[in-house]
Amino acid sequence: MVKRFLGGAALAAIVVLGAPLAVHAGSLNPDMLLLISTFQKGAGVKAFSAEDGKKLFNSKRTHSQKNEERSCTTCHTADPSKQGKTVVGKVIEPISPAVTKERFTNPKKVEKWFKRNCEWVLERECTSKEKGDFITYMMSL
Amino acid sequence: MGLKKIFAIGFGVFMVAGLVAGPFAVAESNERGENHESHHSDRNGSSNGVPDNALYKQECVSCHFLYLPGLLPERSWERLMNSTDKHFGENLALDASAVSEIKVFLKANSSEKTGTEWGRKITKSAGASTPERITGIEWIKKEHRKITPEIFNRASIGSFSNCGACHQGGAKGDFEEDSVRIPKE
Repeated sequence: MVKRFLGGAALAAIVVLGAPLAVHAGSLNPDMLLLISTFQKGAGVKAFSAEDGKKLFNSKRTHSQKNEERSCTTCHTADPSKQGKTVVGKVIEPISPAVTKERFTNPKKVEKWFKRNCEWVLERECTSKEKGDFITYMMSL
Repeated sequence: MGLKKIFAIGFGVFMVAGLVAGPFAVAESNERGENHESHHSDRNGSSNGVPDNALYKQECVSCHFLYLPGLLPERSWERLMNSTDKHFGENLALDASAVSEIKVFLKANSSEKTGTEWGRKITKSAGASTPERITGIEWIKKEHRKITPEIFNRASIGSFSNCGACHQGGAKGDFEEDSVRIPKE
């Protein structure tokens, strides 16, 4: 009986504590935490910097072939909580996980978009440090 | 037992469950898995030129209007899907199986196969050429000759490539002039 009560209590606690933990913008789900730990290993750091992530998000660079200024903010705007627009005019839902809940919840998607967009802005893939900082900045919003 | 302790146990169980489930969840929730159910039945064309493929939608609509496969000839899709690492200056970062599935879908429903009037006109206009841009097809250009750059640049349109901004029924294969609504701003 006591055991059953404890089991029930534990389950209730999971429901009570687990639900906000899974959806709150400030915390990453277990899949994403695994991704972060691979970035930590790759970068050789224990923690990432939201400030560096913010700098990366706002840094501007001229594309070597297209000779145009490119930045994360070109499409996402300088305010992550606002809707952005792709180069052909399609609306992009806000990148901030505080506004668009499914942001930074699927490691495969996150990696794909880093590859696509880092190449577009920086003409190279992002480093583990850059990716970790970027996610940390976004999760701090 | 205090409330704090119960919560602590619950929290511990949750974290352990999360750690154990983590790697499996990654495997199960991969994007390919989500699409297997639907794409087999959706792959074949339909009479209004609006076939559907969940993977095509997922990968392509994030950046642009979901161009119907019938808007380009088969050989155009072949060429586009053979160079997804250089897609109008972008690397789409698609894996080989995604490229393959999307290519099969697009080619199977290309302009030659739509059975629509616009599909036939595109096929004819492209002739023997291999257009990479729908907006580069002569018949499409002719149909839009009265639309000035000022209109295409309006905030809610953005570019000639954003079909759905004016063709309200475009996603459903309706490109009739009567259905066009050009936003004022």
